[in-house]
Amino acid sequence: MSDDFLSRLREEPRPEFKDRLEGRLQEIDARERGRRQAPSPYRRFVPALAGASLVAALALAFSLEPVRAAAREFLDLFRVKRFAAVPVDPARLERLAKGGLDFKSLVADQVQVVVAPQKPEVVGSPEAGAVVAGITARQPGVLPRQAELAETTVGRLGSFRVRIETAKLEALALAAGADEIEIPAWWNGATIDVEVPPVLAMRYARPAAPGDTRPPGDPSYVLMQSSIPQVDLPEGFDLATLGRLGLRVSGMSAEEALTFSRAIDWRTTLLVPVLVQGGTFREVDVAGEKGLLVTYEPPVPPAAAGPARRARQQSLLLWSTADEAFAITGPGGGMELLEMAQSIR
Amino acid sequence: MGGVRILEWFAPAVPAGGVDWEAAYREEMPRVFNYFRYRGLDRAAAEDLTSATFEKAWRARDRYRRERAAVSTWLLAIARNVAIDHFRRARPEVPLAEDGARDEETPETAALRAGQSLRLTELLRALPERERELLALKYGADATNRAIATLTGLSESNVGTILHRTVVSLRSRWDEGGSQ
Repeated sequence: MSDDFLSRLREEPRPEFKDRLEGRLQEIDARERGRRQAPSPYRRFVPALAGASLVAALALAFSLEPVRAAAREFLDLFRVKRFAAVPVDPARLERLAKGGLDFKSLVADQVQVVVAPQKPEVVGSPEAGAVVAGITARQPGVLPRQAELAETTVGRLGSFRVRIETAKLEALALAAGADEIEIPAWWNGATIDVEVPPVLAMRYARPAAPGDTRPPGDPSYVLMQSSIPQVDLPEGFDLATLGRLGLRVSGMSAEEALTFSRAIDWRTTLLVPVLVQGGTFREVDVAGEKGLLVTYEPPVPPAAAGPARRARQQSLLLWSTADEAFAITGPGGGMELLEMAQSIR
Repeated sequence: MGGVRILEWFAPAVPAGGVDWEAAYREEMPRVFNYFRYRGLDRAAAEDLTSATFEKAWRARDRYRRERAAVSTWLLAIARNVAIDHFRRARPEVPLAEDGARDEETPETAALRAGQSLRLTELLRALPERERELLALKYGADATNRAIATLTGLSESNVGTILHRTVVSLRSRWDEGGSQ
């Protein structure tokens, strides 16, 4: 007896629905991690192609929530040490993905995990965490009102090897319309080794009070600190070419990408993707160092939207010293983060 | 087999280490979506409930225990609870024929498919709740008899027997109406 007729209702979900739901799940991911304040921010400190050094980049996830994970992973490859914002047009990334460009396989197939990342470990104090991380713990002398140290963790992001496949980069350039970029043939098979040092994270939050209706720990501020990761590049490797490709994919024109590329020291600069819609950024001074302050509004799911659930502004502050990189995330437009950063000793 | 909250069966929470959730999403989302379609829902409602299922699952991932069930079974358990909640709210069901043509279809094939879908939906809706649920799991979600047994609390052989009888009966009614 045939039951073929019973399969006539079966159909593939619409691609736009698939993408929309995937985006919503990524939002949940980001929110869940933010709520736990454990692995999330520095999960985004994914190792990247960089120059002599690069910094793990962290809570950029927040500014990239609407962007597909694959695109995010791709962009992670272009973060380097100092901080410069790159406007990213998520609609363009969506269009490229819909045009058949599989960011994830383009990148994932070329990345080999040498030492797997581990879940962040909760430690008793910043000092104890610093010992584990092999750094000296720096703490802010000024904290937002009512906030106090709630938790200290150490995250290990492991090490990675990127094996370049020129065919994939060429496919990416083609899909992005970046045919002006020539991928050197000798890159094929070349490897880039990235080792990300442990990240010390201190979460500051307002303790729960009797009768308090807000969730405990809401809002939280997280200060992250890490040594500068080490990246070994093949001799003669031109990061600017790779960087230009990334800029073109992010939405820059050929001329803009070239100009930007020439203005950047690719061996010391970490590119921070900021969504064109909903994100702003500016350069700030943090105790004599140039930092980058990114402000954005995390998207609110449609079901939660409305007057009672307005999106709350979030900020991310990044800066580095000669041998350490810092980041602070928290609610608001960044003033509190700046005050915290200026008071770090 | 009504409102059994299978989701709670998976508690207490333990880390769900080792599961590739992105792959799970890619593989299982169409199955969950079609489960809802076979429960008689139109495309928009099926999409809504598929979203609800995955959002619940994503928030509860830490509670998934792989030694208790496959990810696919776990997701279907959540989907069933979502369906139960949905039908409890007694929203009127909309005929599936309202869905538009698929991209690859001509107007003729779209009309033919719509007619067949409508007929099949009507046949499914005429079934008792239990049989309809089993068919949705089998033909919509592509679940094995074993997984269906786990989800419904029926024995595997019982699942097979009920499905066989139901399909024979449906086949007969389908043939009576012509294949269109």
